[in-house]
Amino acid sequence: MSTTWQPGRIEDETFVTVEGEHGPYGIYPPTEDMLNEPVDPEVSKAQEQRLRKAWAAPAGWRIISAVNNEFVGKWYCMTAFVFMLCAGVLALLMRVQLSVPENDFLDASTFNQFFTMHGSAMMFLFAVPMFEALSILLLPEILRARDMPFPRLSAFGYWCFLIGGIFVLSSVLFGVAPEGGWFMYPPLSTIDESIGPDIWLLGLSFIEVASIAAAVELIVGVIKCRPPGMRINLMPLYAWYVLVVGVMILFAFPPLIAGDFLFEMQRSFDWPFFDPERGGDPLLWQHLFWIFGHPEVYIVFLPSIALAAMIIPTAAQRPIVGYNWIVLSAVGVGFLSFGLWVHHMFTTGLPSLSLGFFSAASEAVVIPTGVQLFAFVATLMVGRVKMILPMLWIAGAMAVFTAGGLTGVMIALAPFDWQVHDTYFIVAHLHYTLFGGMIFPIVGGIYYYYPFFTKKMMSERLGKWSFWLSFTGFNICFLPMHWTGLAGMPRRVYTYPEGIGWDMANMISTVGAFITAAGVLVFAYDLLRSKKHQPRAPRNPWKAGTLEWADDPNDENWGVRSVPFVTSRYPLWDQPKLLERIDAGRYYLPDSQEGYRETIITSAVDARPQHVTRVTGPAWCTIWAAIFTGGAFIFPTFSWYVPAAISAAFAVVCVLYWLWTATAQVPVRPSQDVSLGLRLPLYVSGPKAPGWWAVFITMLGDATAFTSLIFGVFYYWTASPDFPPAGALHADAVWISGAAILYALSWAATRAARGVNRGGMQRLAQGLLIAAPLLAAAGGGAMCFSLMGMDPTSHAYPAIMWGLAVWTCAHTACGVIMQLYCLAGTFFGKLTSRYDADLWNTTLYWHFHGGSAIIAAAVIGWLPRVLS
Amino acid sequence: MSWPKILDRHQSLWFLITGPTLWALHFCTVYAMTAIYCEKLGDEAGPLRLGILGVTLGALVLIGITAWLSWRQWDYTDDWDYEHDGLTVEDRREFIGHAGFLLCVVSVIGVIYVALPAAFVGSCV
Amino acid sequence: MRWWTFIGSKAMRGPAATKAQQGTADPGDGTTRHDMSDDRIVRPRLRQALCALALATLPGCSGVQHVLAPAGTDAGFLANLFWIMLAGAVVLWIFMNGLMVYVTRINVRQMSPKKAEALIIGGGIVFPTVVIACLLSYALAAMPDMRAEGTGTRLKVTGEQWWWRVEYWPEGADAPIVSANEIVLPAGSRSEIALTADKVIHSFWVPALGGKTDMFPGRETRMSLEPLEPGTYRGQCTEFCGDSHAWMAFNTVVLPQEEYDAWLENAATDAVAPEGEAATRGREVFFAEGCGACHQVRGTAATGKVGPDLTHLGSRTSLAAGTLPLDEPSLIRWVRDAKAVKPGAEMPAYDHLSDDDLSDLAAYLEGLI
Repeated sequence: MSTTWQPGRIEDETFVTVEGEHGPYGIYPPTEDMLNEPVDPEVSKAQEQRLRKAWAAPAGWRIISAVNNEFVGKWYCMTAFVFMLCAGVLALLMRVQLSVPENDFLDASTFNQFFTMHGSAMMFLFAVPMFEALSILLLPEILRARDMPFPRLSAFGYWCFLIGGIFVLSSVLFGVAPEGGWFMYPPLSTIDESIGPDIWLLGLSFIEVASIAAAVELIVGVIKCRPPGMRINLMPLYAWYVLVVGVMILFAFPPLIAGDFLFEMQRSFDWPFFDPERGGDPLLWQHLFWIFGHPEVYIVFLPSIALAAMIIPTAAQRPIVGYNWIVLSAVGVGFLSFGLWVHHMFTTGLPSLSLGFFSAASEAVVIPTGVQLFAFVATLMVGRVKMILPMLWIAGAMAVFTAGGLTGVMIALAPFDWQVHDTYFIVAHLHYTLFGGMIFPIVGGIYYYYPFFTKKMMSERLGKWSFWLSFTGFNICFLPMHWTGLAGMPRRVYTYPEGIGWDMANMISTVGAFITAAGVLVFAYDLLRSKKHQPRAPRNPWKAGTLEWADDPNDENWGVRSVPFVTSRYPLWDQPKLLERIDAGRYYLPDSQEGYRETIITSAVDARPQHVTRVTGPAWCTIWAAIFTGGAFIFPTFSWYVPAAISAAFAVVCVLYWLWTATAQVPVRPSQDVSLGLRLPLYVSGPKAPGWWAVFITMLGDATAFTSLIFGVFYYWTASPDFPPAGALHADAVWISGAAILYALSWAATRAARGVNRGGMQRLAQGLLIAAPLLAAAGGGAMCFSLMGMDPTSHAYPAIMWGLAVWTCAHTACGVIMQLYCLAGTFFGKLTSRYDADLWNTTLYWHFHGGSAIIAAAVIGWLPRVLS
Repeated sequence: MSWPKILDRHQSLWFLITGPTLWALHFCTVYAMTAIYCEKLGDEAGPLRLGILGVTLGALVLIGITAWLSWRQWDYTDDWDYEHDGLTVEDRREFIGHAGFLLCVVSVIGVIYVALPAAFVGSCV
Repeated sequence: MRWWTFIGSKAMRGPAATKAQQGTADPGDGTTRHDMSDDRIVRPRLRQALCALALATLPGCSGVQHVLAPAGTDAGFLANLFWIMLAGAVVLWIFMNGLMVYVTRINVRQMSPKKAEALIIGGGIVFPTVVIACLLSYALAAMPDMRAEGTGTRLKVTGEQWWWRVEYWPEGADAPIVSANEIVLPAGSRSEIALTADKVIHSFWVPALGGKTDMFPGRETRMSLEPLEPGTYRGQCTEFCGDSHAWMAFNTVVLPQEEYDAWLENAATDAVAPEGEAATRGREVFFAEGCGACHQVRGTAATGKVGPDLTHLGSRTSLAAGTLPLDEPSLIRWVRDAKAVKPGAEMPAYDHLSDDDLSDLAAYLEGLI
C-alpha cells in the first residue's frame, strides 16, 4: 500500500540555486508547513481572474481557432466516432450482401470498395485517432498539466485528420474508393488504373503524419508535463500506456510511410519497386506494411487496456495490484509486437525456420498480455468490487478479448494458420480482439469519463441496454464466423455459391451484425441526447483516486487552478487535503502574471520542476497550415503536381509563421515565481526544453522510415539472385563521395554555429549559418548528380537508389529551411547567445539528417559495389 | 548499499529497455541470419542452427547479466518491498530495478521461444 | 499411414462416382455449385458428437471445402490440432471468465493479496510459458513433414485472373501436360506442386487436403499435398485478387493410383472430335468465332494460350474455375456473357450467337472428353 509523504524523507532532493538566474531557484520539495499556509482569498480571486482571461476560449464561431486540449480533444473524439459510424454502416451493407448466397445487393467492385474502406477507416480514421483523441483530452487532466505541451500541434493534427478523413471516406460516395483491401497489396493495387489506390496512399499518409504528430506530443506530455513529485514509479498506468503506445507509433508508422513513398513513386512515375518484371518484389511491400500492421494492432489494443487500468481500481476501490507487472507487460508487449509481422505472411512460402521464429514470437506475446489480464482479475479479487456501469463494459471486454486471444494462440502456430489464413476464422478472431480489446473498453471508458467531460451522467438504464445488445449481437455475428472459416469460406469474397455449407452461418452473422448496430445506436443516442434537465454530476462520481477527478467543478478552461505536488499513485485517496489546496491555488503556478498560458515542465524521471513553458493560444495559422498540407497530399491524387507544390509551399509558410510568432519567444525576464518559494526559468534550450524532445522523438520516427528504405535495399539483395544486376551502372564514385563530404561539412557547421553562438561570437555563428545551407544544398545536388546515369524506371536497383536520394534531398530541404530560420533569428533578436533553443533543435535535426545522409551516400555509392 | 551515484538517476532507467532490446537484437540477428543463409547458401541448415544456438546463448548471458544488475538495483532482500509506491529516490530506483528484472524474465522466455524452432526444423524448406 | 490419419477417413470412391454424384446433386438450375453430402464420411465418435453439437445451430462438419473434414495427411494433423486447441481454449476461457464473475458478482469480499499475486505469477507467467512451449514444439515439429518434397506427381499451377493454369510434369517429361481449373492427384502419395501467378497474387488452397500457399507473379513458391482418400474436394483462391476473387475456385479430384495413371494417360492425348450432329456444328461455331485465338484444343487449329486449355474440358467437374457445374445450360450461360457470371472476366460476350449455335457449341465443348 502507499506511503503518505513525510517531509524529511526526501531532503536529498532539495535544490537551491544551480544555474544562477537561468536555473530553478528556491525550495523544492515544498514542506508540509508551506502547504498548510492559507492563501489570501482576495489574492486568489485576482489570480483566478487573470487565469480565466489567459485561458478564455474564442467566442462564437471563432471557437474553431481554439487549440486548448479540452476543445480539440472533444472534436477529435467526436470526429473519430462519426468516422467509426460510417465504417460501421459499410460493414452492415456488406453483411446484407453476404446474408444469402449469390446475392446481387452489391456488385463486386462496390463490395471491394466497402471492405477496403471499412478496414482502412476503422484502423486509420477510428482506432488510432480515437486513442490520440482520448489521450489529448485526458492526459493533461490525468497529469494535472494546464494543457498539452504543444496545443497548436494538436489542433494542426486534428484539422489534418478531419480533412484527410473526409477526403478518403467521401471517395466511397463517388464510387472511386480504393478496392485493393486495406493492405493494398501490389501488383493488384499498382496495376489498378483508377485513382483509388492514390486516395488510399496519399490520404492515409496525410493522416499518418497527423498521427505521428499527436504521438510526439503525447510522448513529450508524459515525459515532461507531469506534476512535480510524480516520479515514474508514481505515474498513473494510463500515462505508462500512452508512453508505450506513443513510442510504438513512432516506430511502426514510419515503415508504412516509407512503403507509401515507394508505392506512390511506382504509381506516379513508374519506378518499379514492386514490379517483379523489373527486379522489384511485391513481398517488400508486404514486409513494410506488416511491420507497421502488426504493432498497429497493439497500438489499438493497449490504450483500451489503459482505460481498463483506470476503471478497475475505481471499481475495486483499491490501488491496482501488480503495478510493476503491468508496466512490465506494457513495455514487453510494446517490444514483442514488433517481432510478429510475418505471421500475416505465413503462407508466402518463407523458409520454415523463419516462420518458426515469428510463430514463437507471436506466442510469446501471450505472456505479457496474460499478465495484464491477470493483474486486473487480481485487483478485483483483492478489492471490494462495486459493479459500476463502466465495469460492466470492461467485464464484457474481458470475456470477448480472452476468446479472441485464445484463437490468436491457435493461428499464431504457422501450420494451423496455413489452414485458416485469409478465411472467416481470421475475420472472427480479429473482431474478437478488436471489440474486446478496443470497442468495449472505449465505450466503457466513455461511460466512465463522460461526467468528467460534461459534468452530467449518462443513463445507467440505456447503458445496460446498449451493452447487452452489442454484447449478444456481437457474439451472434462473429462466433459463427469461426465456423464459416473452418468450413472453408475465404475472406473478401463479395458473394459465395450456395450449398457449400456457408448459407446458414452467414445469415446468422448478418442478424447479429444488426443487433450489434442497435446496441451502438442506443449508445450513440445516450451520448448525444440533450441532458439539460439532468442534475450536475458530483465532482468525483465514481470515487476514483487519480488526479483527473480533481477537475475544476466550474467548467473553467484553465485545466487546473494550481498544479499539485504529488506524493502518491492515487493522490485523491492518499493526499487528504489535495483538492482543497488545488482549488485554493495553494500549489504551483496559481497565477498568470502576464496573461500568458503557462504550464510547468518537469524532469523526465523524477518530475523535478525545471521550467515554466508558455504554451500557444488560439490560432488560425494552424488551420491554414492543415488546409495547405492537405492540398499538398490531395492534389497529387489527381496528378496535379504544380498546385500540390504551391500548396506545400504555403503550408511551409504557415508553419514558419506559427513558429516564428509563438514558439521560443525571448522572455522579458529570465525566470518566474511559481509560488511555494520556487522560481523557474521561462526559457530553456537543449534537453530541458519540450521542443528539443519533440524534435528528438520526431527524428527517431524519421530515422525509422529511413531505416525501412535501407532495409528495402538489403531485402532486394537477399530475395533476388542478382541484385544489383550484373553489369548495372553504379552511382558515380566521385560525386557521391563529394556529397558525403559536403553533408558532413554542413552538419559540422551547424554544430559549430551552436557552440560559437553560445560563446557569444554571433558574427561567426551567422557566417557558419550562411555556409551550412549552401553546403547542404551542394551535397543534395551532388547526390542526385551522381545518379544521373541511372534510369529509375528501368529496374528496382536504380529506383531504390534514386528513392534514397529523393528522400535525403527532401530532408535536406527541410534542414536548410531550419538553418535559414536560425540565421534569420540571429538577425532579428529571436535567437541570441543565451536564448538559442531553435539552434539546439536545428542541430539535433542535423545530427539525425547528417548521419542519415552519410549513410545514404554509403549505401548508394559503396554498398552496391561490394554486393555485386 | 553503495550504488554508484552516477548510475542513480538516468543510467538506471536503461534497465527498462535493456532486456527487451536484447531480445529484439537476438530476434533480428536470428531472422537475418536465416533469411540470408537460406537464400544464399542452401537448404541444409546445420551450420545455421549452430549459429542460432551460439547467438541464443550469447543473448541469454547478456540478459542474465542485466537481470542480475537490475535485481541488485531492486534490492528486494533489503526490505522485501515490491510495491515501490512511495515518494523517495529509493522507491523510484527499486521500481526500475524491479520492472527491469521482470522484463528480463519475459525476455529470457522470448529468446528461448524464438530459438525453439531451430530445435525442430532442420532445413530451409 | 501416420497415426493421425484415422480421423477423417472416407469411403473410397472413384471418378465415376464423382461424376454421377455431380448429376444428382445439381438440380440443374445453372447456378447451384457442387454439394457433397456427408453420408460417405466416417468419423470417430468424439468428432461426431462435436459435430452433432455444432449441427444444432450450424451446417455440419461435412462439406467439400471443410478444414475439419480432412482427406489428406496434413489436413488430418491440423484438424486434430484444432480439436485439441479448442478443448484447451474452452477450458481456459471458462476458467478466466468464471473467475471474473466469481470475484465481481458472487464473492465480492476482499481476498488476500498473496493469493492475487500468486494468480498473476502462476496464471500470467508460469502456466502459459509451459503450455505454449509444448504447443509450439508439437506444431512446429510437424512443419517440415508438411513441406516435405513430393515424391509422386509434380504439378505447376499458375494463378490467373481468375482461373488456374495447370501443368502436369510426369517424370522425365520434356513438355507438360496442360490443363486448367481442375487438379487431379493420386491418393496415397505426396504430390509436389509448384506455384506461380500471372499478374497479381493469388493463394492456392484445398482445405480438405492441407494448408495454403500464395502464388506470386515473377516468383515460384512450392507446396506438397498428400491426399489419402479418393474423392472430389473444392479448393479456392484465398488471396484477394480483384473483382472475381469470389469466383476463383477449382475442384481437386483425388483418384486411386491406378485410376490416376489411366487418367493422366488420357490427359496427355490430343482432343478427339466429339461425334454427333450438334457437336459437329458446334465445332464449326467454335472455329468460326475464333475461340482458338485464346483457347487451346490440342490436336486442332485452336492453339491460344491466353485462356484456359479446353482439350479435355468435358471430363472436368466444373466450368469457369469452379464457378458453374459442367453442363449444357451453364456452358451456354457462360459463353453468352461470361462477365455476367464473373465480373471483370476477360472473355468477351458472345450474345450475338443464336440459342441454337450456343447449344451446339455447348455440345461440342461437353464432348471434349
